Amino acid sequence: MKQAELRRRDFLHATTVTGVAAALSASVSPGLVRAQPARDTGPASKDAGPATKIVKTQCRACISNCGVLAHVRDGRVIKLEGNPEDPMSKGAMCAKGLAGIQALYHPSRNKYPMKRVGKRGENKWQRISWEEALDTIATKLMETREKYGAEAVVGSTGGGGNPNFMSIARFLDVFGSPNWFEPGAAQCYMPRQLVYMLMYGGGGSGNTSIADSNCLELYYPDQTPIKALVLWGTGPSYSTPPCGGQALVELRARGVKTVVIDPRMTPDAAKADIWLPIRPGTDVALMSAWIKHIIDKKLYDADFVMKWTNLPYLVDVKTKMLLRESDLKTGGSKDTFVVWDRKTNTARPLPYPFDDNLDPALAGSFTVNGAACKTGFQLLAERVEPFTIAKAAEICWLDAKKVEEAIDLYARNSPSGIILGVATDHNPNSTQSAMGAAALDLMMGNVEKPGTLLQRFTDGAVRDLRSTPLKDFLSEAQLNKRLGNIEHKGLLTWWTGQPAEILKAMATGKPYPLKVWIDRSGNKLAMVAEPHKWVEAMKNLDLIVHIYMYPTSFSAYADILLPATEWLETDFVVRSMNKLFARRAVTHLWETMNETAIFPELAKRCAKLGHEDCRRSFDAKATAPEQPYFDTYEQQLDAWTDSAVKMTWKEFVQKAPVDFCPFDKWKVYYVYKEIDPKTGKPRGFGTPSKKCEIYMESMITLARTGVPFTTYPLPPASKDYDPLLYYMEPHENPKAEIGKTYPLVMTNGRLPMFHHGTLRNIPWLREICPVPELWVHPDDAKTSGVAHGDWLWVESRRGKIQARARVTAGMAPGVVYMERFWNPEGLGTPTQGWQEMNVNILSSADPPYNDVCGTYTIRGYQVKISKAGGPPPGVWYKPEQYAAWLPQPTEATKPVEVRS
Amino acid sequence: MRKTLVIDLDRCIGCYTCEVSCKQENGVALGLSWNKVLTVGPSGRYPDVQMYFLPTMCQECEDPPCVKTCPTGASYKRPDGIVLIDKAKCIGCQLCMKACPYGARSFNTETKVVEKCTLCLHLQEAGDKPACVKSCVAKARFFGDADDPNSDVSKALKAAGSDNVHSLPELGNNKPSVRYILHPKTAKWTQNQP
Repeated sequence: MKQAELRRRDFLHATTVTGVAAALSASVSPGLVRAQPARDTGPASKDAGPATKIVKTQCRACISNCGVLAHVRDGRVIKLEGNPEDPMSKGAMCAKGLAGIQALYHPSRNKYPMKRVGKRGENKWQRISWEEALDTIATKLMETREKYGAEAVVGSTGGGGNPNFMSIARFLDVFGSPNWFEPGAAQCYMPRQLVYMLMYGGGGSGNTSIADSNCLELYYPDQTPIKALVLWGTGPSYSTPPCGGQALVELRARGVKTVVIDPRMTPDAAKADIWLPIRPGTDVALMSAWIKHIIDKKLYDADFVMKWTNLPYLVDVKTKMLLRESDLKTGGSKDTFVVWDRKTNTARPLPYPFDDNLDPALAGSFTVNGAACKTGFQLLAERVEPFTIAKAAEICWLDAKKVEEAIDLYARNSPSGIILGVATDHNPNSTQSAMGAAALDLMMGNVEKPGTLLQRFTDGAVRDLRSTPLKDFLSEAQLNKRLGNIEHKGLLTWWTGQPAEILKAMATGKPYPLKVWIDRSGNKLAMVAEPHKWVEAMKNLDLIVHIYMYPTSFSAYADILLPATEWLETDFVVRSMNKLFARRAVTHLWETMNETAIFPELAKRCAKLGHEDCRRSFDAKATAPEQPYFDTYEQQLDAWTDSAVKMTWKEFVQKAPVDFCPFDKWKVYYVYKEIDPKTGKPRGFGTPSKKCEIYMESMITLARTGVPFTTYPLPPASKDYDPLLYYMEPHENPKAEIGKTYPLVMTNGRLPMFHHGTLRNIPWLREICPVPELWVHPDDAKTSGVAHGDWLWVESRRGKIQARARVTAGMAPGVVYMERFWNPEGLGTPTQGWQEMNVNILSSADPPYNDVCGTYTIRGYQVKISKAGGPPPGVWYKPEQYAAWLPQPTEATKPVEVRS
Repeated sequence: MRKTLVIDLDRCIGCYTCEVSCKQENGVALGLSWNKVLTVGPSGRYPDVQMYFLPTMCQECEDPPCVKTCPTGASYKRPDGIVLIDKAKCIGCQLCMKACPYGARSFNTETKVVEKCTLCLHLQEAGDKPACVKSCVAKARFFGDADDPNSDVSKALKAAGSDNVHSLPELGNNKPSVRYILHPKTAKWTQNQP
């Protein structure tokens, strides 16, 4: 891909590090797409012809759900294009989405349920019926529950584009196990979602993760008045080209200024006004400096901070809790907070929303009834005080002048916003980083105004058109057993366990043994930190089930494989802005089954074997207000469309896209100013104080009780969570002892060809990216004795892998970058494809963890690189090698029907 | 008439969608590319570096050396400016590949003929645009007649201003017709090209 200097004739033949070696020819694609000349297949063509049908559906190659027009002839999908009706993707699809056709007809699809007949890892399988597979699993589940307790069953998901994320969580709630997890969660999105929910109160989508289909304001480039955007650890051009990537293109073209904070020169960084190539893991230091500068220069929105945040409220310095009216006088309200009134020089309750007769001090230290108190603002200012711009520049390896320019660009071009990406979720500073970014936007008043990212556009009845957890089915006793959950109560946000603690229990049997693992995901072994430990621990399991579209390294260690539908075989309701679209089963192949339909089938069988809660899970009265399990998937689809738009699924499919809310009632600003008819006062924000709680007292409550994510108090964590952001230097860092042996800091980041662990078996995509590159600055390459294009060894103290060198000035010196990878061509060999080039062999599942969420370290640890003699044995890096994966046209089959 | 492409590099985000949509539409074989996105840079001294993406394909030369060199007349230029290969006449001698200044042609070892971008002629004939143009996520690609002031390509070039319009260097006097838009704010156009 890299082509620093272009020479004559090099253009299309450029044999670059990962480029296509054009001279190496290969077999022609078998005419799937060109089954007949494609000339009459365009949807815009006048003569589409009776033979070609165009079916509207929605992609699920990642989580962006872009609109698709699938061209179908004789039951076969022959071409994919974007659907211009989708208001987010606006007719665009990306390379991953277009690869859907090669994924659908991939010769290595899981075609039938299979059971292992050799030893684990021997890759010997026998086809079995769905009935046998489900009966075997249900029987084992019930035996395990009887012998070890339901908590001995682990469920997991994630790893890329799961169409119905909470389906396994729901099943385990019903079954009685608290132990589901995914390699994301604490390492992906949950820390940001948690912090923004508690600080801003805008619900699950009230945060600035553009890759999670938020920041909807940005999709109206001709209307939005936004002037400046900070892309902090996010690269929408790579993570979601048709949605966020396209939106950024339009905004930049209209003069919106951008700052990109990323150690790697991504496309968005190349087009930014200011690029800050930060040292991985140090974001909180930089955010602290931004907050300090904005406070020092009084750049914040003083009126908003005074009236709509809790920063003027007094905090008892000793207890760290906010003062209430009830602390001032008996009978005082617990919901009314206290300010220091400068007119009377006394502590006074501030009635909601504000009292213009008071003159609250924003900063300051005071004594109230003998107790030392400070305002939230004062505590925040003291917390960030050490972080001058010079200090942060030193910690983060940045140019102080550019840091100041970046802050000014953001703070002096209102409205503006910070898009916070996944980067900061990848190290133990996860929640603190989200606290910094959220505090900045809220102090700037970048909320619910036109042109800001934090909005509460109307969700209506469509929030939960997918499987939801059945929290009430999980008893308090079982919830208390959730691994890692008491110490890291932020995990309750997603109702999930901590991967590191699950690994420990699987390996040691402590605090209790784990015996069954049901996973629905891409390659777990490429996505979790330290997969070698997991593979060892998996030997202690009695049953491992893998549900997926094709075998991955994880499958090699499984006992039963269940074939899941590709997105082109799946029916689902998909939301885009104020509209609902239908993801439709364009075709169906082999005996694949929709994952969402698999879990109710397991519940039915467990019910027959005497599991009372599994029986109750089909009873709407027992599950209310959540939906029950349904007997058939058609009934489930009907229930979703009925709840959202009062239609059956069949009717919905005919009419989709359907507005679930008229546009002008959906895109509403200043929700906090709306008058609540019940109180006659402004609705405020979705927090206990109805103000933006930049001083996060809620973190203390969370640590002690689990509220607001539980209805009953859980035992406290060993230590309160901090109400303000704080910076932890990465545990492994260049100045520590380890830096002498492992001098370089490792980071990760997305590429446009893959989503998490998916699609490494797609010829079109592997041609573009055959092997993972390690990006390294020329100075570090020289020191390490490696040159552009060299095969490398990459080592941390946890392991050793290979990669190919991309020597580039677009990488911060001292930092190296590598994207996650696995090699499907290694399946059935001793490596099972996860050991050659898998960067997570180097990352760390060990402490320190983020206190709130238990986040471990998958960016910002130390490595070294050296030249290797060649590629890892058996790895495919020439285009012709991918011929084995070219699609094989397959007749459509009937959907699977399973006898209960 | 000069049918050609204009590509706005200020907008191109290097997502490779056009490479895959080209392969899907034209069934281009493994290892071959009719359309390829190159990365120019990062160049300069860290951290003051610049980078842009350069999608490359047949440049639809006004005086194409491939046509001149073809011994059988398989390579030809249509009156509308599109350069094509008549596969029935191609003997696979690959002289055209040597003549092309841009490496835009590939030899298909299975069919034993040379192939290249057709500007999706089959889609044009059905009233549609080339797949790469239609699928471009960033709406960075324009297709049309450069001689028609109302075409998408002419309008894009006019809006960009001549100072920001570039083309790949010539070899002799082949006159490539594809144009690239790049403003200095994004990056400086790199001259060390063919």
